[in-house]
Amino acid sequence: MSYAVLATVGALLFDRWWGEPHRWHPLIGFGRAADWLESRLNRGNQRRWRGVLALALMLLPLLLISAGLQMLLLAISPWWFTLVAALVVYVCIGRRSLGEHARAVALALRAVDLPAARNAVGRIVSRDTQALDARAISAATAESVLENGSDAVIASLFWFAVAGIPGVVMHRAANTLDAMWGYRNTRFFYFGWAAARFDDVLNYLPARLTACAYAVCGHCADALRCWARQARHWSSPNAGPVMAAGAGALRIRLGGDASYGGARETRPVLGCDREPRPQDVERALRLLDRAIVLCLLLWACVVVMWRLL
Amino acid sequence: MDGLTPPEHGGDLAQAIARYRIPAAGWLDLSAAINPEPYAVPPLPAAVFQHLPSNDDAVTAAAVDYYGVPASDAARSIVAAAGSQALIQWLPLLRRHCRVAIPAIGYREHAFRWRCAGHEVIEYDAGVAHAVDEVLRQNIDVLVVINPNNPLTTVYEPARLLGWLQTLQRRGGWLVVDEAFMDATPAHSLADKVGAPGLIVLRSLGKFFGLAGVRCGFALCESSLAATLRAAVGPWPLSGPTAFVAEQALRDRAWQQRARQRLAMHSRACAEAVVAALGGKGAVSRADLFVSAALPAEEARAVQEALARCGIWVRLIELDLQRALLRFGVLAPGDAWLRLQAALERVPA
Repeated sequence: MSYAVLATVGALLFDRWWGEPHRWHPLIGFGRAADWLESRLNRGNQRRWRGVLALALMLLPLLLISAGLQMLLLAISPWWFTLVAALVVYVCIGRRSLGEHARAVALALRAVDLPAARNAVGRIVSRDTQALDARAISAATAESVLENGSDAVIASLFWFAVAGIPGVVMHRAANTLDAMWGYRNTRFFYFGWAAARFDDVLNYLPARLTACAYAVCGHCADALRCWARQARHWSSPNAGPVMAAGAGALRIRLGGDASYGGARETRPVLGCDREPRPQDVERALRLLDRAIVLCLLLWACVVVMWRLL
Repeated sequence: MDGLTPPEHGGDLAQAIARYRIPAAGWLDLSAAINPEPYAVPPLPAAVFQHLPSNDDAVTAAAVDYYGVPASDAARSIVAAAGSQALIQWLPLLRRHCRVAIPAIGYREHAFRWRCAGHEVIEYDAGVAHAVDEVLRQNIDVLVVINPNNPLTTVYEPARLLGWLQTLQRRGGWLVVDEAFMDATPAHSLADKVGAPGLIVLRSLGKFFGLAGVRCGFALCESSLAATLRAAVGPWPLSGPTAFVAEQALRDRAWQQRARQRLAMHSRACAEAVVAALGGKGAVSRADLFVSAALPAEEARAVQEALARCGIWVRLIELDLQRALLRFGVLAPGDAWLRLQAALERVPA
């Protein structure tokens, strides 16, 4: 277990040095396979069950391979496990790329270049960005940092801590399939059900862990109050606590109106106090970093206590 | 019209009265999307009933100012009629057989009238981001856009609409923009581009002014087409009382300004109440006169049912087999508002 903590520290350092792997990203191949499978299976009757089958076909081979790899590595030497696990976790998390995308928005905002900021924020959120003002751009970016901090970093680390290489690989794969299939539109309403629910289940605990970490690392009482009052109104059961606690911890107001494909969607207001400003993007990134470090320390403590007992 | 059944209109409160055994007076009817604080009709001089409306120059001038139609031959670019419905019925009769793209969700009369006139109607999904761009690739001659879309709340930016207009112009086509719900957001209107070949903008006094009963609508388009349309509609398109009320309403800038602010407030409050009650189940979006919640179909039916048991009637629009939209007409603060809030709080989670 202590080797896993070491591997995680290594992965975070790799991420810091190298950023997102550019030339060869295994998720691209995975995405192509998922597209192909969807084109074959998302048709005819029993779509919900076909969705379950597709999910199983995508995940089970990965589970077997990664579990086999882990056993093999542990049989050779814990140091080999540490090295390979660090590389796998590095590929599965995206702390630095999240920061780079968010910082590009913050830089453009600071230069008062709204068109550039709109384009930059368009790369990280799915809403219509061409009519956003500085406040709305800051809000969208902060929302993205808080939510992806949970999905793309802390949840991956959580599953690595619980189940090693198979855990982190499963989580990243399930999260990717949810992003591809988990829509409530005509095409994916039934087919995407399994992917969306499985992702909800996997992220249930990590999301709440992230929310706790945000609370401890920020304005704690506000974060907990916002979580308790606002999270259940949010349309996603896991993003609700994360973003409510994060917004409360930063004492800014997120959520509210946003436009998707021309439709003005009204979302619940999350957080409290004041409207977000460009500086809040940096504050959100720093909150995320403190939360990551807190989770790591907590994990290390658990490992040490385990040893002592 | 053989084989075509006219679409039904309104929220069918009569059905609800029969089904839930609550008398008409007991209902809070939110199934219409009309300003809850309508323009106050001034006392009418007897003369407006006694003489033929001499000419509708005064109304036309008021409409030109209000809609912001560009100055050169502005008055010749505008056609009044008994509601935009009358214009929707006439437009298909002014073209030879052609291909018309119409939103699948929205006012049903467009598709019905174009079909009745023998045109080929292709429906597109206004809820999907690039649906219009895609349908335009199918040799479309006439594109009907409802902007903002009722009930989907989709808003199209003027720049995108003008891009589509260019494509249609190359084929001698039309872009028909139904702006029945545009009055609260004039910046998105194409009224200031009227005169461009093939552009037809439809406006109405029914929704924003809350004057659905006066039956007053306008088509704004290039003057040659306007002349044809005016001849088709015939003389005295507006009754004397209608012309009188319409002119007052279109000229009352102070009322319009206040109505915009109040509607923005009411619609926000209404959307927040709906989000608090249903936000966890689906997506809530809003326009100035209504709030729409997209939910899984069975949940939408359950919510409609739960509200109906409290005597509140909202409209349910099926999007496809799986999803439905619940549309709430916005309402002003007061007893009715408190009643909706209380009912929404009791909707089972």
